[in-house]
Amino acid sequence: MPSSTQIPEYVDTSEFADLSLDIATTLFASGAHCGRISNNLNRMAKQWHFDVQMQLTFIGVVLNVTSQKDPLYTVTRYRTTPPHSVHLRLLTEFSRMTWKVADGDLTFQQAKKETERIQKINHYSYWSIAVAVGISCACLCLLLGGSLTDGGIACVAAFVGSIVRVYISHHKFNPMISFVIASFFTTMISGANMIFGWGTAPEAALATSVLYLVPGVPLINSLIDLIEGHLSSAWNRALFGASILLCIAVGMILSISLLGINNF
Amino acid sequence: MTEPLILHILLDFGLAFVVGFCWGILFGSPKSVLWVAGLLGALGHSLRFVLLQADVGIITATMISSVSIGLIGIYIAHKVHHPPVVFTMPAFITMIPGLYAYRTMLGCIRLTDQTFVQHNPGVIGEIGYNLMLTMSLLFTLAIGISIAALLFRSKSVREINFGKKQKP
Repeated sequence: MPSSTQIPEYVDTSEFADLSLDIATTLFASGAHCGRISNNLNRMAKQWHFDVQMQLTFIGVVLNVTSQKDPLYTVTRYRTTPPHSVHLRLLTEFSRMTWKVADGDLTFQQAKKETERIQKINHYSYWSIAVAVGISCACLCLLLGGSLTDGGIACVAAFVGSIVRVYISHHKFNPMISFVIASFFTTMISGANMIFGWGTAPEAALATSVLYLVPGVPLINSLIDLIEGHLSSAWNRALFGASILLCIAVGMILSISLLGINNF
Repeated sequence: MTEPLILHILLDFGLAFVVGFCWGILFGSPKSVLWVAGLLGALGHSLRFVLLQADVGIITATMISSVSIGLIGIYIAHKVHHPPVVFTMPAFITMIPGLYAYRTMLGCIRLTDQTFVQHNPGVIGEIGYNLMLTMSLLFTLAIGISIAALLFRSKSVREINFGKKQKP
């Protein structure tokens, strides 16, 4: 056993590996880039005298933890990530927690309890998300030069599409299907604007009303990972983002060809 | 002539504020920094609007405003004690190239109709233009958001001090 005269507390290597995996997979699923995950983990590892090596991919995390006091205590674990949904608040909470650990304000048991608390934090309710999505798509439409009518239509289309997507994903369908159907409904509503000519710039309403589906966080994270050299994760995220974009396009194509391509 | 322009800038600012705020809700940012996300989004978008009015190219304008949001974000992160990604990510969404992505997709659908392509061969150039513009704009946004990792040697934003000597 390593002597505990210099370290403030004795932390078991495999328990630390489990905690690290909890943090890494949750962070990955809620939209952190790889640099942030490894910074957070290394901060804690430094405090408790561990070396952490990790391989972060989109579907799972491989982690190797070695005790600096006794290299015989080495643990390698793998865990798959939970379903991906962007939740930036968890990034803040984990960042604060790991800084507290690095400053010596949290013991290992407290950090474990804190991690459990953070994992249970809820997202905003889907009604408020749907309203926010509607309003922001309307504003984006106005920014692109649409009239107030176009903005209103984009708002309704995005609101309905967002509710439809939540409804479908609550019924445990494949997540990609939910994107196809949501973008289909959204385009049907904003495409009606194009057919009947209610607004002055129907193209702006069509283009902006599906923007709430665009996987902005995975795409930007993929480029950040590429810049920082986490190549496998970068490609995984790019592929995930591209397949969602493809699903959006399929939904729009279905609806556009139903309404008649020559009207667009 | 100047008065309408100022009104336009203010309108742009207000709309982009709402967009940043609402995307903050979609991405689950903490309640206390939603207004920061809105403010940064508004600043970035109206800066880009001003640059576009001054005949700067759209890629250069987006680059300048995304880098400035990234730098301001590091400064604000020290004030509000949150990592910058939490509020810069929704702020950047205000500048996402949605219209160009949509035109790329619409062009690709048209490409499946052979007679249409034979009559309008220009559609390929149009798709290429819109695709490259979408990708370049996304890349400039990514540069802006990861500006801390690119410009500073410190691993964490908390260790970055503007204008102060770094501890060895």
